Amino acid sequence: MSAAVTSLRNGWRGLAFIAIPVTAIAIFLFYPAALSIIGTLVRPKDGGGYTFSLQSYVFFFTDSYSLTNLGRTLWTTVVTLILLVAVNLPIALYMRFTKGPLATVIQALALFPMFVPGIIICYALIRYMGPNGWLQSLLALVGFHHYASPHLTPWGPVIGLIWDGMPLTLLILISGLSNISDASIEAARDVGAGRIRILVSIITPEITHSLLIVSALNFLGIFGQALMPFMLGPTNPEMMGPFMLRTFSSVRDPLQASTQATITFLICSLAGIAYVRSIARRPKEDRK
Amino acid sequence: MLRRDFLKYSAAGAGLLLAGPRVAFAAPGVLDIFFNSDTNVIDFWTQVVKPGFEAANPGVTLNLVPGGGGSGINTLADRAYAAFQAKKDPQVDMLEAAAPFYPAGSLAAGLWVDFAKAGLANYEKVNPVVVQSPALLPYRGSQVVLMYNAEKVKDVPTTFAGLVAWIKANPNQFAYSRPDLGDSGACFIERALQEVTGQKPELFLPENYTEDYAKPMFEKLWPLLKDIQPALFNGGEYTSGNTASIQLLASGAVTMTVAWSDMALQAMSQGVVPDTTAVAQLQDLAFTGGFSGIIVPSVAANKDMALKLADYLISPEVQNHVVTDLGGFPGIKWEFMSKELQEKFAKVAPKSIPIFPSNWEPSLFEAWYRNVASDIKR
Repeated sequence: MSAAVTSLRNGWRGLAFIAIPVTAIAIFLFYPAALSIIGTLVRPKDGGGYTFSLQSYVFFFTDSYSLTNLGRTLWTTVVTLILLVAVNLPIALYMRFTKGPLATVIQALALFPMFVPGIIICYALIRYMGPNGWLQSLLALVGFHHYASPHLTPWGPVIGLIWDGMPLTLLILISGLSNISDASIEAARDVGAGRIRILVSIITPEITHSLLIVSALNFLGIFGQALMPFMLGPTNPEMMGPFMLRTFSSVRDPLQASTQATITFLICSLAGIAYVRSIARRPKEDRK
Repeated sequence: MLRRDFLKYSAAGAGLLLAGPRVAFAAPGVLDIFFNSDTNVIDFWTQVVKPGFEAANPGVTLNLVPGGGGSGINTLADRAYAAFQAKKDPQVDMLEAAAPFYPAGSLAAGLWVDFAKAGLANYEKVNPVVVQSPALLPYRGSQVVLMYNAEKVKDVPTTFAGLVAWIKANPNQFAYSRPDLGDSGACFIERALQEVTGQKPELFLPENYTEDYAKPMFEKLWPLLKDIQPALFNGGEYTSGNTASIQLLASGAVTMTVAWSDMALQAMSQGVVPDTTAVAQLQDLAFTGGFSGIIVPSVAANKDMALKLADYLISPEVQNHVVTDLGGFPGIKWEFMSKELQEKFAKVAPKSIPIFPSNWEPSLFEAWYRNVASDIKR
C-alpha cells in the first residue's frame, strides 16, 4: 500500500474521530452564539419583516455608562495581568533553578488556589481583608490604624483575580522555563556572562512564548469574569461580566445584553487570535 | 430578533439541557417545586410543609429545589411558557416566590392557574389586601425593617425624614444593598421614591407603569439619594445583598441597615449579630413589604396534587407555623389564626402592607445604577 493511501485513510479516520465533538461545538456553541450576534444586527420592523440596524452598538458606544464599564474591565484586566506576571515570574525562576524541600513547599503553596472554588475565595477574602476583618485587626494590634479595605474598590477584584490566576500562570511559566537547558546556561557562564546577562540574553527569549500564552489565557479568563468583580468590586463602574448579567436578568434587556456580549467576545477574540497564532507558530520554529 | 423569540430560544436551550437527566428520574407523585427564596424558607418547607403534606398524602413526595435566584426562576418560567405553547409537560409543578407577570403575556395566555377559580377549600381565608393577582397565592409575608445596634442608637428614627437626618448626622454608619441584589435595598429606594412623591403608595400600580409617567417621579428621587450618598458606609458603598448588609452590621462596620424582617429575626435568634441588635419600623409610612406567593403552571403534570399542596399551604395549620417558625406574616386573615397568636400579634397585625409593583423595578434599578451609583470618586 502506498504511503499516500495510508495517509488519506488516516485522514478520514481522523476526521471521523473528531466529527462528534466538532458537531457538538457547532450545535451548542457556534449556532446559539451566531443567533445571538445576528439578533443584535437584524431587528424586526414594525410592519413585519426585518431590517439591518446597528442601533444597539450605537447606543453602547455613545453611552458613557457602558463605555466606563468597558474601560474599567480593560483596566482591571491589564493591571491584573501585569501583577500576575510580576508576582509569578520570580517564583517560577526560583523554582526552575532551585531543588529541594523548600521549593516543593513553595510550589504547593502557589498551586493551592487551583483547588479552592472561586466563591469560597471571595467569602474568605471578604472576611480577611474586608472592613473590620482579620487583616485590619492584626494591623491594629501592631499599632497601624489607617487600613482602608480594598473590598468594594477597584482593587478588590484585582486581588481576587490574582489569587485565582496564580496556579495557571505559574504552571505555564515553569513549563516555559524548563525548556532552557542547564547546558546553555553553564556555557554562557563559562564565557563569563553574569546573572543579568543570562536572564536577558538566554532566559527571556526562551520564555517570550510562555509569556504570550500566559497573557492571552489570563486575558480571556479575567475579561469575562463575573464572580470576583461581583463579590469584591465596587457598584460602579461594573466589569462587563456583572454588567451583562444584570442587563439580562435585572434590566431584562436581552438585546443590549447580547450587544455587550458580542463586544466582549470581539475583544476577547483578539487575545484568542494571539494565543492561536502563538501555538501555531511554535512547531514551525522548533522544526527549523 | 424579537425579545420573545430570544427568550424562547434560550428557554428551549435551557429546557433541552435540563430535560435530559430528568426524564429518567421523573416519577409519578413527585412534585417538583422550585424556590426563589433563601435557604431559611427551604428549611421551613423541609421541616414543616414537606413532612406534614407527605404524611397526609401517602405516596406523594415533595422535591424541593433551589431555583438559583431571580434569573434562574425566570428561566424556569420561560421553559414553562415554551412548554405551554408546545402543549408539553413543563416539568415544573410549582414555583415559589415567583410572580405570574413573567414572561410577558403568559398570564393572559393562561399559563398560570387562577386560584380564585381553582376550588381551594381554604381560599376564602386568604387576606384580600395581600392578593396581587388571582394567579399568585400569597402564603408568607415579610417586611423590610430598620435593623440597628440599640447600644449605639438611642433614638431610632420613626419617619423617613428622621432616617435621612440620622444618616447625615452619623456618617459611615448606614448601608443599603444594591437594589437588584438585595430586596431590602430595593425597598429602601422605593420608600425614598414614595417619600419624594408625597407618601402616596397608590401612585405606583402594576398597571400604570409607563416611561413617561415614571420618569418625572424618578427624577425627584435622585437628588435625595445622591444627597445622602457621602454619608453612607465608606462614602457610598452598596452591599451585594441582604446577607452582606447584615454581615456589615454584625462586624460592627455599620450601626444601622435595612433588612427583611424574617432574615433579621433569624439572624438575631441564631446569634450571628450582637445581642444589642434590634429592629424598628417607620411609623409615617412603613417600608414596602411583600407577600411571597406560589404559582402553578396550568399544564403541570401533577397539577391536581400541586393545588392540594397550595390549599395545605394556606391552611391555618401551616400559616401558624409561618408566624412562629419563619418570623413571617400570614397570608390569611388573622381571625383564622390561632387565638394565642392573635393576641400576641394584635398590635403589629398589618391592615395593609405597602407593595411596590415589580414591573416598575427593572427601569428603576437600571436608572439607580446610572444616576446614583455612578460618580463615586475614590
